[in-house]
Amino acid sequence: MNSMNNNVNDLVNDIKSKFKVLNVEHPKENQVSFDFKKEDIHSALSHIRSKGWVQLSMLTCIDWLEDNEFQLVYLVFNWEQGIRIQIRTRIDRDNPTFGTAVNVYPGVKFYERDVHEFFGVVFDGNPDSNKQLFLENWDDMPPLRKDFDSVAYSDKKYPVRKYKADFSSKAGDKK
Amino acid sequence: MKEIKLFVGPQHPGMHGNASIHMYVDGDIINRAYLLPGMLHRGFEKSMERRTWMNNIALIPRICVPEPDTNEMVYAMNIETLAKIQVPERADWIRMLILELARLSAHLMAFGGIGGPTGLYSAMYWAQADRDLILTLFEEITGQRIYHMYIVAGGVRKDLPKGIEKKIIEFLDDLESRLPDYEDLVLNNPTILARIKDNILLPKEVVWELGVTGIGMRSATGQEYDIRKVNPYAKYDKVEFEVPTATYSDALTRMTLKYREMYQTIRIIRQVLDMMPSGDVRAKVDDGSALRWKVPKGQVYSAVEASRGEYGYYTVSTGETKPYRVAVRGASFPQGLLGLEKYLPGHRIDDAPLWFDTMGICSPEIDR
Amino acid sequence: MKKDEKKSKKIQKGWDGISNYFRANSIWMLMYCTGCCAIELPQAMTSRYDMERLGMGPMATPRQADVLLITGYLSVKTLRRVIYAYEQMSEPKYLVAFGPCTINGGIYHDSHAVINRLDQYLPIDVYIAGCMPKPEAVMNGFKDLIEMIKKKKAIGWKHYRDNKEWYVKNQKHALGEVRVKDEFHE
Repeated sequence: MNSMNNNVNDLVNDIKSKFKVLNVEHPKENQVSFDFKKEDIHSALSHIRSKGWVQLSMLTCIDWLEDNEFQLVYLVFNWEQGIRIQIRTRIDRDNPTFGTAVNVYPGVKFYERDVHEFFGVVFDGNPDSNKQLFLENWDDMPPLRKDFDSVAYSDKKYPVRKYKADFSSKAGDKK
Repeated sequence: MKEIKLFVGPQHPGMHGNASIHMYVDGDIINRAYLLPGMLHRGFEKSMERRTWMNNIALIPRICVPEPDTNEMVYAMNIETLAKIQVPERADWIRMLILELARLSAHLMAFGGIGGPTGLYSAMYWAQADRDLILTLFEEITGQRIYHMYIVAGGVRKDLPKGIEKKIIEFLDDLESRLPDYEDLVLNNPTILARIKDNILLPKEVVWELGVTGIGMRSATGQEYDIRKVNPYAKYDKVEFEVPTATYSDALTRMTLKYREMYQTIRIIRQVLDMMPSGDVRAKVDDGSALRWKVPKGQVYSAVEASRGEYGYYTVSTGETKPYRVAVRGASFPQGLLGLEKYLPGHRIDDAPLWFDTMGICSPEIDR
Repeated sequence: MKKDEKKSKKIQKGWDGISNYFRANSIWMLMYCTGCCAIELPQAMTSRYDMERLGMGPMATPRQADVLLITGYLSVKTLRRVIYAYEQMSEPKYLVAFGPCTINGGIYHDSHAVINRLDQYLPIDVYIAGCMPKPEAVMNGFKDLIEMIKKKKAIGWKHYRDNKEWYVKNQKHALGEVRVKDEFHE
């Protein structure tokens, strides 16, 4: 337990000495999250990979509609020490582009295609990033954005069955 | 010879789940291959944002169909971390029991699943018959065979019924006496060995390149990289078990590791039933009704060791009654998409569904 | 002429009766797991619940299969392939739908990728209730299908053949195009 805390403290000091970190949080034991500016992300990823964090668990994206920004999150894990790092940054929502991280972690290629398809972020340098993967013949805006209304889309394209008696309006929260 | 485009399509006797492999073949050898995912896509991550925290319990087991309890476990772990709840001790032990029984049933299904691509249907019949006994145990404990909705934030929904420990011990003794027959049927069978020995290799560099976890990682690197040992959750540091490893990874080694993990799972369940304390099983999350919980702000990721690898959820909460974003990390995303595109070419056509089975790919968790 | 017509109709009716008896007792299902309820199909096939004593067995190709089981929800991508497989089956053919997701969307009613009513796109003979239906419910549904075939009530395929334009119009509205040629944009 003490050695784990020492490892986490060493890591935080090391990262703070080399990069400009906007925020550090400890959501749970053995997990640290760093907020960087978007220009520092690729050098931070290479540095962390060389220190032993060889496995990329996931790349995902969060849509902050009021701030007009997307937040990209990289999750990396170190099997020797058992410590997980969240690497976060914010990019602009109106014209979202970002550089690809395929040279650092080759496995991120399909996660970038996934984020592109559901949020609309363009990753420069990722081959076939504009081909559809999970959706087919999709004709609307990227579906996981907060201003896409999936109920309206579903009612428009896939008609529902009409019943003689109406049960659903008695059921509480209808939204 | 000209290249022909074939597909091991969604409708195929040897295919696991609803996904299709499109390949360009030259004679018998595959030149290029792509996976076509998305046939099981239901838009879970969007639907979860429209339902309250407790309402989502009905939706999340359906993300991973063969082993649904891992979903409930990581969702509950995230809420407990954000709301700083302490789970009672007996609830942790019951959670371990449910998770290990689910792992046993998923391993049986994957072990017998080799019957489809190779034609050895006896393996499938035996494995599904044993899995049915586990599903009957689940029905007695939780009320449902497949989607339990039993592990919630704060503990488990209700206590174990009386007399269930005796039934579980009887079932484990019966299964353990018959496991050597499985080894004779599949692992010592000359017709199966001709297809899986020295075939479908997974070298160590490929593991680090793709990010493969689970049995694939342990069979190629030789290290005990298991989340239950490295980052233990729910009292796994109090039971004794081994994690089988190997250094040369072909399809035969991975099936052998799966077989040996079944013995270790039975060992864990026996210790859990011995050491379980008494007490209550559920802690309150918030004051008031469960449909109006407000979970405090934060962003956290939790992972458990499912039967196929590391399975995790990333939850973002802004202090409302509904989650702001939940992202799902399926355990077989790396090997299913990038692994198939880079490493299936070079094999023969009849190895394509076998690749799918021995690499441990489950299509619903790739598509979400 | 009329006497000959009556006699040939009577022979046809008798022949239909015999052939329906044989069809009902030997239904071959197509091996296609389209959704989550398919996880209970191996349990219904193997030794505890044993579908084979009703005469049902698995078949690998649609050209020789009798029944197509829609196990659960249908996403838009799967519906295109299911229509393709259904049109390859030879008549008479039957369709059994599992679960509430085929009736009115089920638990995925608000999803952008799951259809809500299946009988607008394909004709259905039997619905089986449950989420997911237990193997006893599945066997009960199969027995209902056998009774319907013997009584000549399972005529969904005739409805599809006679009202093809209505079905095709609905399919185009929901799917756009049914046969997608270039899935990988190559």
